[in-house]
Amino acid sequence: MILRAAVGVVYAFLLLPMVVVVLAAFNAGNYFTFPPQGFSLRWFANFFQRREFMQALWLSTELAFWTALASTVIGTAASVVLVRGRFRGRDLLNAFVTSPLLLPQILTGVALLQFYTLLKMQASYAALLIGHIVVTTPYVIRTVTATLTHFDLALEEAAQSLGAHPLRAFFEVTLGVIKPGVVAGAIFAFAISFDNFTLSLFLTSAKLTPLPIELFAYLKYSFDPTAAAVSAFAIGVALVLVVGIARFMGLEEFTGF
Amino acid sequence: MSRGARVLLLGPYVLLLTVFFTVPLILMFLISLSRSSFGQIDWALTPSQYVRFFTDAYYLSVLGDTLWLGVLTTVACLLLGYPLAYHLALTRTRGKPLLIVFILSPLLVGIVIRCYGWMILLADRGLINETLVQHGWLAKPLPLMYNKFGVTVALVHVFLPFMVLSLTGVLKRIEPQLIEASQTLGASPHRAFFEITLPLSLPGILAGSLLVFSLAISSFVVPILVGGFKVHVLPMVVYEQVLSVFDWPFGAANAFVLLVISVVLIAVYIKVTERALRGIV
Repeated sequence: MILRAAVGVVYAFLLLPMVVVVLAAFNAGNYFTFPPQGFSLRWFANFFQRREFMQALWLSTELAFWTALASTVIGTAASVVLVRGRFRGRDLLNAFVTSPLLLPQILTGVALLQFYTLLKMQASYAALLIGHIVVTTPYVIRTVTATLTHFDLALEEAAQSLGAHPLRAFFEVTLGVIKPGVVAGAIFAFAISFDNFTLSLFLTSAKLTPLPIELFAYLKYSFDPTAAAVSAFAIGVALVLVVGIARFMGLEEFTGF
Repeated sequence: MSRGARVLLLGPYVLLLTVFFTVPLILMFLISLSRSSFGQIDWALTPSQYVRFFTDAYYLSVLGDTLWLGVLTTVACLLLGYPLAYHLALTRTRGKPLLIVFILSPLLVGIVIRCYGWMILLADRGLINETLVQHGWLAKPLPLMYNKFGVTVALVHVFLPFMVLSLTGVLKRIEPQLIEASQTLGASPHRAFFEITLPLSLPGILAGSLLVFSLAISSFVVPILVGGFKVHVLPMVVYEQVLSVFDWPFGAANAFVLLVISVVLIAVYIKVTERALRGIV
């Protein structure tokens, strides 16, 4: 009984900031008070009419798309070797490929900024994209590895003994079976890139601002609920992506429960 | 799998990581050993940046504050996260996927947005203060934001999911028969929890705490937005030195202090999780 109540309170704590942001986005007044001051879509209208927000939204979407595509391809390829390969130094390599996940992103950001600047490559689209690929690929490797470990190698061998070329056996049998992990990894990579703030902050310029950076810049100077509309929109995107992961992989497996 | 196939499949990512992750970090270390003169890097091998950091009372107090906020956040995450993980590990409700969504959703909602949510709640004219003042329960707003309290609340919110995920993984692996057996032998549920569940979940507690602590001490969005530049932490110094003051050598040295702390914590974390898995499975 006490446990239930405590659990309820903690869930409320987890959800509260997001709920408040969404309510504030639909609230008519300049300040969000309780009870709300009526329903309005004017903050959304403001969001969709401001060119800088629209450009940022487009940049974030495009960036997340290319990041997800690239990290899924190289991450899946890497996972196959890391799960199946029998060679010396595999454990070390395993630790190496997931290391960007463990290091605080601010450090990756600072190091990349200094590296790019010395190469005169700073504030370019390629620089930003590569940075995103570096930090999202370990997530893909993790989800793909999780599904690949359960995969029964006999299936692929059966296909080969029936005359299929090893590559064809892989693409038609293995990839078909591990597809849930690959797709969930791709969606996750998209979400991480779309929401990424820390790394982007060090790699952007005035002409190249993804949505979270634009939102951050806006919040530093103004407190009006347009920011809430932007946030509510991003929360909507996140929810769609979670549903996507749930459908393809199942959340219990995704979280490793 | 042939050697050629391995190189072809794993090569691209390993190359990418080496060039755009390992090399930049080595470069950052070299920069931290250099000197800054008029915004230019004067290449040298000198520990002067580190000497400056460890002899200046201001930077030492920033380091102390950073670690202290990390401890507060970790303890609070543990206290809030344990009941949640315990419930999630044992529950058989049909709504379980929804509960997992609730726990995961903060992770997928950008950090700026979550901070903004707390700003709406905690500001002087925010939801909590405005409601309390309007109803006459409070004469003037409580200082909930732009201080350590607000920063800790937001940090706990940001990192709680990591604690819950670490704890649930370990709690789920505890055999329910162990608890049943102890109760058949006469132990109260209370005693069964403190003598069986809690000790067996210690590896999860340790792993989750290390994870949350290392994430919390490297956070700088929360101190900037919810702390309003009034709560000074090490990652913020890194950010300011690199992006505002343009003193790269000193910024790099600050970053490296943070990196050494993180790497030590991560190494312990990996040891702990390995042992935890071996001990229970």
